[in-house]
Amino acid sequence: VAILPAPQNLSVQSTNMKHLLMWSPVIVPGEIIYYFVEYQGEYESLYMSHIWIPSSWCSPTEGPECDITDDVTATVPYNLRVRATVGAQTSAWSTLQHPFNRNSTVLTPPVMEVTKDGFHLVIKLEDLGPQFEFLVAYWRREPGAKEHVKVVKSRGIPVHLGTMEPGAAYCVKVRTFVKAIGRHSPFSQAECVKVQGETLPLTL
Amino acid sequence: QEFQFGPCRVEGVVLQELWEAFSAMKDIQAKDNITSVRLLRKEVLQNVSDAESCYLIRALLKFYLTTVFKNYLDKAADSRIRKSFSTLANNFFVIVSKLQPSQENEMFSISESARRRFLLFQRAFKQLDIQAAQTKAFGEVDILLTWMEKFYQF
Repeated sequence: VAILPAPQNLSVQSTNMKHLLMWSPVIVPGEIIYYFVEYQGEYESLYMSHIWIPSSWCSPTEGPECDITDDVTATVPYNLRVRATVGAQTSAWSTLQHPFNRNSTVLTPPVMEVTKDGFHLVIKLEDLGPQFEFLVAYWRREPGAKEHVKVVKSRGIPVHLGTMEPGAAYCVKVRTFVKAIGRHSPFSQAECVKVQGETLPLTL
Repeated sequence: QEFQFGPCRVEGVVLQELWEAFSAMKDIQAKDNITSVRLLRKEVLQNVSDAESCYLIRALLKFYLTTVFKNYLDKAADSRIRKSFSTLANNFFVIVSKLQPSQENEMFSISESARRRFLLFQRAFKQLDIQAAQTKAFGEVDILLTWMEKFYQF
């Protein structure tokens, strides 16, 4: 009986604190392959290395990938392993070559929507989850204008930044900050809006 | 959100997640039959100065990681419990790795005071059978988290 090959090419793709473990699929013609994913944090690997914990969503799973976001709950290196099964056959475990630490996640500039509500400058930010804060910078588009900064923790709901003057243009840019890993994303592109009417001094 | 144990600052650990992890393992408290004894009693945790707190929390968490939590996972078959335990243990591990209490001489009396508090806890632990002591100490994590909360800044 042919031995079921172990999954190969394990890697983790992590963006904005969403972590996806991927591997090359095991192919057995005419068969459905199931995969089992397990993990151990630094504590387990140091103090009880024989202990592995089944992944929340992939014990088992059919596709050659696993969302391990809910399993990686501390900012320490995690060992990850996968094996394939078909029927009664089980492959050997394949272990991720380098432990994964969530502090390596790629943080992208957040998506924002800048709008006017009358004379009010309003921003709406995408909901990236509870671990994200947003640092919003906004200014009146004129030479030497002062940049205002606001930390926004609420998610997915409009936030009032300030009151604008008629005829003036205002710009906004934003970046994210993740406390759990102490890192922030690059700033987004600045977005500007203009208020109709006469120009008057700024009263932000 | 961060811990500020006197001069020791710890970022990257969300206290709410530790509470949630412990709550998922709370049935362990029901396995503690020795209700007359409390390991984390008043003399250990009450009136701890900020300066002492870094020394004390480091000693307590190291003890939990090396002694109280040891072999726990061998007994925890339920993977939901194992997941919660992993969250708690690995975040305790992060906290300990970030605590750098001062080793300077003028801090000796403070570190000694913290050490005496820890020894009260450790002696009480050692007076029990190891299994009973691990179960009791594990069940008292809520007392520990409640105390740690005083040093947590939202």
